[in-house]
Amino acid sequence: MDFKLTEEQELIRKNMREFTEKHVDPIAVEIDETSRHPEELFKKLAEGGWMGIPVPVEYGGSGSDYLTHIVAVDELARSCASTGFTVSIHVGIACMLVLLFGTEDQKKKFLVPMARGEKLGAFVLTEPGAGTDVMAATSTAVKDGNDYVLNGTKTFTSNGPTGDVYFVFAWTDKAAGRKGMSTFIIPRGTPGMEVGTHFKKMGLRSSQTSEMVFRNCRIPKENLLGKEGAGLLMAMTGFDHGRTGIAAQSTGILQAALDESIRYSKERVQFGQPISRQQAIAWMIADMATDLQAARFLTYHAAWMKDQGKPFSKEASMAKLFTSEAAMRHTIKAVQIHGGYGYVKGAKVERLLRDAKITEIYEGTSEAQRMVISGNVLR
Amino acid sequence: MPQMIACFKWVVDEAYIRVGASGDLDMNAVDYKISDYDKNALEEAARIREQAGGSVTAVTVGVPEATKGVKDALSRGAEKAFFIQDPSFRDLDPSQTARILAAVIQSRIPYDLILCGEGSSDLYARQVGPQLAELLGIPCLSFVQKLTVEGDRVVAERRTDEGQEVCTAPMPVLVTVLPDINTPRIPSVRDTLMASKKEVVPVRKEDLPDISSPFLETVSMKGTSLKRSGTRFTEDPGDVKAFVDTLLQKGVLK
Repeated sequence: MDFKLTEEQELIRKNMREFTEKHVDPIAVEIDETSRHPEELFKKLAEGGWMGIPVPVEYGGSGSDYLTHIVAVDELARSCASTGFTVSIHVGIACMLVLLFGTEDQKKKFLVPMARGEKLGAFVLTEPGAGTDVMAATSTAVKDGNDYVLNGTKTFTSNGPTGDVYFVFAWTDKAAGRKGMSTFIIPRGTPGMEVGTHFKKMGLRSSQTSEMVFRNCRIPKENLLGKEGAGLLMAMTGFDHGRTGIAAQSTGILQAALDESIRYSKERVQFGQPISRQQAIAWMIADMATDLQAARFLTYHAAWMKDQGKPFSKEASMAKLFTSEAAMRHTIKAVQIHGGYGYVKGAKVERLLRDAKITEIYEGTSEAQRMVISGNVLR
Repeated sequence: MPQMIACFKWVVDEAYIRVGASGDLDMNAVDYKISDYDKNALEEAARIREQAGGSVTAVTVGVPEATKGVKDALSRGAEKAFFIQDPSFRDLDPSQTARILAAVIQSRIPYDLILCGEGSSDLYARQVGPQLAELLGIPCLSFVQKLTVEGDRVVAERRTDEGQEVCTAPMPVLVTVLPDINTPRIPSVRDTLMASKKEVVPVRKEDLPDISSPFLETVSMKGTSLKRSGTRFTEDPGDVKAFVDTLLQKGVLK
């Protein structure tokens, strides 16, 4: 058993830390307040090779492994959860789907610019009536000659307004049930595809989210990802990777909550001594630090399982469930430790609390994770 | 096309040192880093190579566990590293470090330009660069904040107590750099991964001539803490006078 990251992973974490201090921390409050996608920041992330860490070099990536990507997301989310998430879904779902299921042509055409960070990927699955219940989706793709014609409405699409390459799920054969959904790669600007406006959200505000509407959207058959009918399997594989990323994002949020709580409680003096000397506060911080350690172990272990080529659905769900709930639990405590100062706009813990909530909801709610985990252990 | 050497030291990252109530230093949970100004030296060498060509070799003296530091240096543009290592090299004094570096550089590494940080982030003795130049018998330009290579010479802008001066020296030459000279790059993911594939030449104590005993002895090390008096002054003219009086009284102004 070895709990050590490699020297390269440690250096990459350190470099990401320096990157966030220089480029992310200074804008994190502003992009949250204005709900802005920081294009200039993503250019810098692309230059550093952060937008395709686990993608092989021949496909435009950095040629490392999934754990290294997860370490980077953890560190990035510590500074800004929105940015961490955008990188996570782009790499963990969009890039990984083409890498795992794409043809050589699709990899050249779509994966290379995505892994280089020139184009941003988006995962288009959720519908107004189909969240946790993926099978309730109603979008359809009907074969017509060499094309598919897609119709349907999607919602809560992360990277919707800013995406360049969309991975869209629709029924090609509804009667076939779990083997009736397919995945299509749709480039931005395809006629018949309409991207809605960016939702105003409680947290994760600089991550761009929208509705998407497809009206007789014609897609050439070359843009079918993998086999017809394999969509649900691909969505689940995407989730395994994506959930590990959300776990990393939640770990980063939790780390930031701990950093802020330690710093503030040592500075804040009440009753003649720093509040960190009050047992009520010290124990909150002890619990926070303990859950952070557990969160990181679960998350890195899920990524490690992936890199070992083992199935990791259960591990990814466990990591996401635990870390997201821990992030929520402790960001509330972090605001409590800060008192009134933590309730004011611009306080980092205020943003952390709002950002933490979404981690219990997207890429499968906590309830959905419990369905996956119980399904695995009760088998 | 200058052949360059950038020297670096793998030091304790001071952010991780905990200072006890009596000033004692707890180093149990420390991490390490390339000494801050040595990053500037590595960056300057990489920058010159990118503009004028040539080569960059990174050289360090340290304990065998410092492999991460060597990779870090190689991710910052050096093509090759000499890793002079021994468990006893943890607490060398500057004269010993300079002598070890001189012995290895003289016998094994061709050079036109040697770059060092002005001083290390841990002890900041600012001795190794000048002593190394002396031992190699080459000119030394210290406190350099701007550097250009022109043919077989370097032109350096030095910051001194009296102001700035521009001077030139023929290569081979040693230059110690100030942090203002550049902004060290943040290595890309690829740079870090490729670093492990670059050549590292290990040099062990047995390969070195006898390094004599240190000139300095560290008796103890303590943390200092800055106590603030908590006195406040406003823009009120009376307060301004009180402020100046306080500075005079404390000897800050004379």
